[in-house]
Amino acid sequence: MIHYESQRVARRYLELSLALFCLQVLLGLWLAINYGFTLPQGLVDVFSFATARAIHTNLLVAWMLLGFMGGAYFILPLECKRELFSVKIAHLQLVIFAGTAVAAVVGFLFGWTQGKPLLEIPVPLDLLIVAAALLFVFNVGMTIYQSKERTLILWMLLAGVTFLSLLYLFGIPFYDNLNADYYYWWWVIHLWVEGAWELITAAIVAFIIIAVTGVERGVVEKWLYVETGLFLFTGLVGTGHHYYWIGAPDYWLWWGGIFSALEPLPILLMVIDTWLHIKNRTNPIVNPLLWTYIMGLAVFHFFGAGIFGFIHTLPAINYYTHGSQITVSHGHLAFFGAYALLNLVVFYFAMPQLKGIERFDDRLGVWGFWIMVVSMVFMGLVFGVAGVLQTYLERILDIGYSTAHITMMFWFKVVLFFGVFFLGGVLLTVYHLFTLKPAEEEGGG
Amino acid sequence: MTGKTAKNIFWVGTLSSVIIFLWLTYDFHRQQATFAKTDQISKQVVAGKKVWHKYNCNDCHTILGFGAYYAPDMTKAYYRLGENNIVSIVMNPEKVYRNSFRKMPHLGVTKEEALALVAFLRWVGTIENRNWPPQDEKFVKAFRLREADARKLNKVDIVMGACGGCHSLGNLGRSIAGDFNDIARRIDYGPDLLTRIILDPESVMPGLGMPPQNVSAETSALIADFILSLKAGKEVQK
Repeated sequence: MIHYESQRVARRYLELSLALFCLQVLLGLWLAINYGFTLPQGLVDVFSFATARAIHTNLLVAWMLLGFMGGAYFILPLECKRELFSVKIAHLQLVIFAGTAVAAVVGFLFGWTQGKPLLEIPVPLDLLIVAAALLFVFNVGMTIYQSKERTLILWMLLAGVTFLSLLYLFGIPFYDNLNADYYYWWWVIHLWVEGAWELITAAIVAFIIIAVTGVERGVVEKWLYVETGLFLFTGLVGTGHHYYWIGAPDYWLWWGGIFSALEPLPILLMVIDTWLHIKNRTNPIVNPLLWTYIMGLAVFHFFGAGIFGFIHTLPAINYYTHGSQITVSHGHLAFFGAYALLNLVVFYFAMPQLKGIERFDDRLGVWGFWIMVVSMVFMGLVFGVAGVLQTYLERILDIGYSTAHITMMFWFKVVLFFGVFFLGGVLLTVYHLFTLKPAEEEGGG
Repeated sequence: MTGKTAKNIFWVGTLSSVIIFLWLTYDFHRQQATFAKTDQISKQVVAGKKVWHKYNCNDCHTILGFGAYYAPDMTKAYYRLGENNIVSIVMNPEKVYRNSFRKMPHLGVTKEEALALVAFLRWVGTIENRNWPPQDEKFVKAFRLREADARKLNKVDIVMGACGGCHSLGNLGRSIAGDFNDIARRIDYGPDLLTRIILDPESVMPGLGMPPQNVSAETSALIADFILSLKAGKEVQK
């Protein structure tokens, strides 16, 4: 039921992405075990927390980027009303990207690392990632260039992927000065998730909303302009909320505090417009699960990224919460709410079409969605409790690191408990996506 | 709202933020020498930063509050632990954290690397970052107080500065390897042997589990005298 043959290239991206998602969550459980139990020295020596964490976070980035790229390749022909510029480039880029990811993970196990959190991939592999990114931007750009279509969604998508690739460069060099190192580290981390990735998310969501609800394009585009404008307005200067304690001038407290406090605003608009578009739909609801995911994305994005970010973004609070499990709580809720769910929206939009299914049997998927969402909410709350406790014991009562942190063992056993459920939800969802079947046509609506 | 207004909101919002952000970035670099003490970044400091990256320290520890939250923040570690303690821990974590609920991997850090790391952490500690993290401010203040008048440095400061990473003395130091008051009571040998134990424990008392200490023979003798003086104090009390 796909309209363009070259859309098929997306399938490999999505499948690999889903496999890495499972692996990422598995590593996450291992990290919780590291916190919850005392591991033998011999094991820690060969497979340390640091190595496992590098794999956990890099797999996160890898599966999400694969999802974005696969998603972009799937919707691009529909939006451009023509085939992709080159399917070969798309395949080549996937091979480079996947090969680099495997090499990176194996490298981490043997201590081959750049040693920067989240950007552990060593420079030679970084260059391969850049090559793959350039191929991707080139392929997207050429497809748009050769088509007659010039829609806002296309511009946003192209701007997002270009911005994403450019920012990655700031994480590659070695900086003598730790303070400058972290200044530019945030150009990758913050400006990705609160800049480039938001552009891509907004563009993809706008496309899918038009396709699914049938709401007039002009209406969606207006919202898209305002939301992305506000994302960039608040998000760019909002980077300052990471500069409070790195040794930077005082004005960052004001610029960073005020702009980042406004960051939930565009996400709130996203919740409102998603709800309005669903309410004013002109198309029938064919696959309710996809609509659930779209609304879930908007709400969880607002809750995890917006509210949980806002809670500790002001300097007076951040002084106590910075670098604690509260950040972990926000990180998990935000990445799941904004980007994991976005990718799942893309998967549930694209996979049925790639398999030629119009209305799919969604029973397993519904279970998967709710198990994931509920267990992630609990995980986020438990991380939050652990973070408040840690902050209180260590920074307010001042009772010393080990006395404060021995209490973490209990809370991370609770995290592990919900993590197992989360993994169950993920496996169910992934299994469902891999084995989508048409719904039985009886009494359905 | 018309499409044109929406478009204007996008461009005005984006461009104004870009301009502010780039301007502030320029100013950040202009003021960097003051905040980050860039003139103190020696070759040794840079070598230490490379060690920090090489062993992926930042994926367990935070520094400036960034990284993983599995192990303590290292921003002010120089003040909290001091040179000898950092070297001992980094080179022999399996001994120092033998009885800890959380382990640090033995990474095979060399003495040279450990010393470079100390130089790096000493520089990081000087970054003017508004007294973050809060829990380490007491160590910074105490260090500055001692630094202000080196003549006032008493024996307790020297001994706990070198040994406080594992040993405690009353409410000072960390209780990993026992309190000096208890150790003094147990010791039945003289200062010469104790000095040698401090410098190379395994050669004198195999199986003690204490790593060799990165202190001069002179300091070692001073520490030995101090510990034995605690014993004398106890006997007098009796």
